[in-house]
Amino acid sequence: MAIDGLIILDPAGRPIIQSSYTTYPAAYPLLHIEALNNALAKAPREGSVDPVIYVGELSCSSACCHVEVGGMRFVATISGDVDPLIAFAFLDAFIEILHDYFGIVSVVTLKDNFDIVYQLLEETLDSSGHPLTTSPNALSDIVLSPSLISKLLASVSPAAPGVPSARQGGYGAFTSPIPWRKAGVRHNHNEILFDVVEEMRGIVGKNGTTLVSNVFGKIESNAKLSGTPDLTLTFTNPNVMTECAFHPCVRLQKWTRDNALSFVPPEGRFVLAEYQYRPPQSALISNVPIPLSLKANMDMGEFGGTFALTLTSRLIKVMENLELIFYLGEDATSAQCTLSSAGSSVGSVGSADGSWSFNSRTKVCFAATLRWEILNMRSSGSWILRGSWTSKVKAPRPAHAFQIRFEIPSYSFSSLKVDQLRLSSETYKMYKGVRMRSKGSIEWRW
Amino acid sequence: MDGINLNALSENATRLGMRIQETIAEHTRDLSLTRGGSSLFDMADDKAKNITKQLESSSDREKLDAMKRLIALISKNRPVSSYFPAVVKNVASPNLELRKLVYIYLLRCAPSEPDLALLSINTFQRDLADPSPLIRAMALRVLSGIRVPTVATIVLMAVRKSAADPSPYVRKAAALAVMKVYKLDQAHHTTLLDIMTTLLRDRSPLSLGTAVLALDTIAPSRLDLLHVHFRRLCRALPDIDAWGQVDVLRVLVRYTRTMLPKPIPASERQEEEVDKDLKLLLACAEPLFMNKNPAVVLAVARAFYYLAPPPMLSKIGAPLLRLLSVSREVERVALPYLLVVARSHPALFITSHNRLLVRVDDAEQVKRTKISVLLALCTVDNHQTLLREFVDYAQDTDDSVAGDAIHAIGRIASLVPSSTSQCLTALMGMINSKQDIIVSNAVLVLKSLVQHQLLTPSSNPTTTLATSLSSQQALLTSSIPSLKPSISTSLSAAPLPFTSSESTSIVQAPLSIIAQLARRIDDIRHPHARACVLWLVGQYGSVPGTGTTVEGVADWAPDVLRKAARSFNTEASIVKLQILTLAAKLILLVPTHRTLVLLAQHVLTLARYDEDWDVRDRARMLRALLVGAVAGFMSSNDEEGLGENWNKKEHAGRPGVVLRREQVTRVLFEGKTGTIGEEPVADSRPLGTLSLVMESESLHLHDDDDDDETMIDLPEWLEQGIDPALRDSDDDAPQVALSSAAQAISSQAISSQHMPTPTGSTPVVLTPAGGSTPKDTKDWRDLNKFYASESESESEDEGEEGVEEGSGIDEGSSEDEETSEDEGDEEDERVAEHDPSPSHERTL
Repeated sequence: MAIDGLIILDPAGRPIIQSSYTTYPAAYPLLHIEALNNALAKAPREGSVDPVIYVGELSCSSACCHVEVGGMRFVATISGDVDPLIAFAFLDAFIEILHDYFGIVSVVTLKDNFDIVYQLLEETLDSSGHPLTTSPNALSDIVLSPSLISKLLASVSPAAPGVPSARQGGYGAFTSPIPWRKAGVRHNHNEILFDVVEEMRGIVGKNGTTLVSNVFGKIESNAKLSGTPDLTLTFTNPNVMTECAFHPCVRLQKWTRDNALSFVPPEGRFVLAEYQYRPPQSALISNVPIPLSLKANMDMGEFGGTFALTLTSRLIKVMENLELIFYLGEDATSAQCTLSSAGSSVGSVGSADGSWSFNSRTKVCFAATLRWEILNMRSSGSWILRGSWTSKVKAPRPAHAFQIRFEIPSYSFSSLKVDQLRLSSETYKMYKGVRMRSKGSIEWRW
Repeated sequence: MDGINLNALSENATRLGMRIQETIAEHTRDLSLTRGGSSLFDMADDKAKNITKQLESSSDREKLDAMKRLIALISKNRPVSSYFPAVVKNVASPNLELRKLVYIYLLRCAPSEPDLALLSINTFQRDLADPSPLIRAMALRVLSGIRVPTVATIVLMAVRKSAADPSPYVRKAAALAVMKVYKLDQAHHTTLLDIMTTLLRDRSPLSLGTAVLALDTIAPSRLDLLHVHFRRLCRALPDIDAWGQVDVLRVLVRYTRTMLPKPIPASERQEEEVDKDLKLLLACAEPLFMNKNPAVVLAVARAFYYLAPPPMLSKIGAPLLRLLSVSREVERVALPYLLVVARSHPALFITSHNRLLVRVDDAEQVKRTKISVLLALCTVDNHQTLLREFVDYAQDTDDSVAGDAIHAIGRIASLVPSSTSQCLTALMGMINSKQDIIVSNAVLVLKSLVQHQLLTPSSNPTTTLATSLSSQQALLTSSIPSLKPSISTSLSAAPLPFTSSESTSIVQAPLSIIAQLARRIDDIRHPHARACVLWLVGQYGSVPGTGTTVEGVADWAPDVLRKAARSFNTEASIVKLQILTLAAKLILLVPTHRTLVLLAQHVLTLARYDEDWDVRDRARMLRALLVGAVAGFMSSNDEEGLGENWNKKEHAGRPGVVLRREQVTRVLFEGKTGTIGEEPVADSRPLGTLSLVMESESLHLHDDDDDDETMIDLPEWLEQGIDPALRDSDDDAPQVALSSAAQAISSQAISSQHMPTPTGSTPVVLTPAGGSTPKDTKDWRDLNKFYASESESESEDEGEEGVEEGSGIDEGSSEDEETSEDEGDEEDERVAEHDPSPSHERTL
């Protein structure tokens, strides 16, 4: 009745790391791996595999919950009538820990540090199937990180007690009165950085009206502060944030009362808060204007079709890495396009126009896709993609929507503004920084 | 604390010393920055021979290397138990890194090699006294992992010892060990329960969650043990780690359903009545909606859904919607839960239905669930929008999604009767689609819609009548109650005037739909859809009066039979059956039309030699039915000479019943019950379960004895709660004392404050006031606890050595104890008192 174990599969579907399934039959993990690989092979397109796969061959009800990271599959197997959300929350926490330890989570880093991964696995998931310690700060006291710094400290620092590095190791563990923060941290240079990342998700209907568009924000922090810093973060316009979720360090009551974030941060990277942007003028959550527009002329014929797409930016800022994806369906065989841009004040040529590519049906991704990329999209002018595609069936069946993704650096939809960050309980000066970043993912139907 | 620190320092010093030695010795190797783990990971198996030698070497580096190799072997599922003796020797190594790896090996191998593990049991026992809480916890985890019933007593002793450990981390391991011992040997149940009572008294939120979980595992029926802890658990909820919060909430939901009175919603007669302990639980749980962990959010939503009085249910809408934007995987799992809530309380989500619109890049399962949710939210106000959406989804590239969307359109038509014509237009548009799947689904839906309307021409007016009647009645009776009977009778006596116009307009549309379907029979290829159209044509092909080419039959009907007869041999069996029925019905309508009769005979003859058993049977039955009804049927049949023998025999030997035409009409046309629109079944499975998420596989899941578990997990409300005084505990006292300035110091202060009056609440327990007398056993148990509470003071003194570690946390919980009280003046005090706390933490 819990998480039975965790398996990490390489891109080919072979297990790299596997928690112990000692209380289960030997075939147990194999059955789950097989069920997952089968489902992946049958998936009609990328991302269409059900994240929860029921494994029916066993006497008890069991399922595997899987997440893809860096080409690998992280699989948590559950048995009994457990909430799969627990498994996904655990996978998330575990992957976050791996990011914390290795920076990049890839087959190479995991194989390089497999002993550490096993230690982490043992510490985060008890053999009874219940998560143990998942706070990265608490874990860093139990399992040493392989980072260069700790290595250098170990080889250089003399045996003088009191040096911060000496506190590392099993004995420093659990001495902190705050579960999410290490005790006795010292930095010569104290700083805390906030990254406000907002993502717009929207759907535009066939007639060009916005059916829905919401902005979801995240405040990511990176804290390098000594001692036990008690911080209070206030905003000039906190009322743009709604439906918030916070890191456990945030005092919820202060937020509900004063709309101020009062917290003792953990060391290192963490997500301080998540929120949804509420446009201030109205009481109801209304649609946030979408910063671009697309005009699509589609003509479906037999064995293929033609299209003319015109993209225009409605934003003064430059949009970057714009990407338009069009699923042409399983049966599409080829596509041919021409790019142009019109009315652009800057005489853009070559790569500024963007590029397109066609990926025919592969083993990984069954649907053929057309991808149009524009690296830099300025405020004026429009970008045009004309082309045609062919299909091997008489009545082709493309997806009736385009997926548009873009990034807008130093911009936020909500114009959330930090008022000030106060530090109490510590006397040192710290460096504070806030950055804004936005991205979008719009579905445009035709 | 100081003692531990000193120990830690000295240990660290020796460890560092060794480390430096190693690093000097291996300096060059260390400077190469990659750890070279992958070479170990991918090493050839033959190198494994060296491992034993390495393990027995004197160099820690060699040993570490060997252990890493071993773990690499484990992850490749190679047998490693042969190294057990060599590994166990290193379990007491002063090198912590090495020791941790040894323990990882043991945690893996001990459960499968219990005999070998037994040999080293002394070492583990010694490690239980290790100064490092990490080693103590690991030793306990290995010990409890050895699955040999004979050592259960030793393990039990270890668990008991660890349950009083100063470190909450070790106590957490003890709670987990309790579950494992119980699984191994249930004979120790009473001893384990005894340990549980110690663990439940835990003040550290770190181990409290696991303690509750352990109790739930070993004694799910002993909720009575939680009486005195209930309020403290509620208040500690915000400080427990996320996983603990999920477990505790689950148990508390069960506790509340079993032990607390059901909240009585407000009505005219009385005010809303909610137990104050339930209020406390909900108030403490509500802030957790703001937790980042989706499992916690769901657990809180679950608590509200199953416990809260109706007005408070509105709080779960927004958090559930927020889960949808967390990640694709979470969205996938949260949607089925949301569907259950949406079906029972659609009002929660109606305003935000656009958050649930289907995206093209959603996974198939997500799309389908979203369609179901949208359907559950369909009202008169938003059905236009939803209809447009469903029309869009019908073009989806997933067949099942397109099918669901088209069926959803049919559902809208039946949910919002005024939208019927729009839905029909939309579906008719789909008939012209080039996609097979769209056409066939549209036909299926059209069939049931048309049938629904046509088959109930008698009931259709009555329903409209009923509604208009009732509205009229309501209008009239409200003004003149005395007139009620006479008016209703007069209305029902003359229903025709105000229903006929409506019903004709509705009836007219379906017939033209059938006509269109009939004309497009060639384009409808899906067998099921073809069969549907054929059935519709046959069933509704009759036209009263004259004016058609073939009198009595609609113009489009005969041609359908002609086309079908021509393609008879290539059709699927299900279509063939319907062709036969169509032929029979048509000649029954116009028995005199020679061409039709010939066509019918042709079809029946083809069917006689069909491969399919059912088709042959159907043909035979229809032929027999029609013998008496259709004049000239027999004779023309004889002319063909086919099956002459059979006919003759049949004809000659037929003494039995020959039905008249009216009778056959009755047999063939009447009594076709309308299709019952699939009503969403109220889901009995509780939120937060795999079986709800895996709806399609639910049948299989229910084969197991999950039903019992469901009942245990979510029992029905009791009529009457138990006496709330049972939940009184000495923990309630400090609430008042908390406002004193001493609160910020530590839990020591708290415990010392109420230590002198531990018996304050117990007399109440002994003499329960009120109607609901607890059972004798409960009295007895609580009496036991009453005696235990005297000895508690001693054990708590012991425990306090370790409390310091958790003091900061305790302080946090005391903060939150106040948060639940919602009293402004106390909060102000809290702010004032808050400042000294960090300085206190620093002095630690």
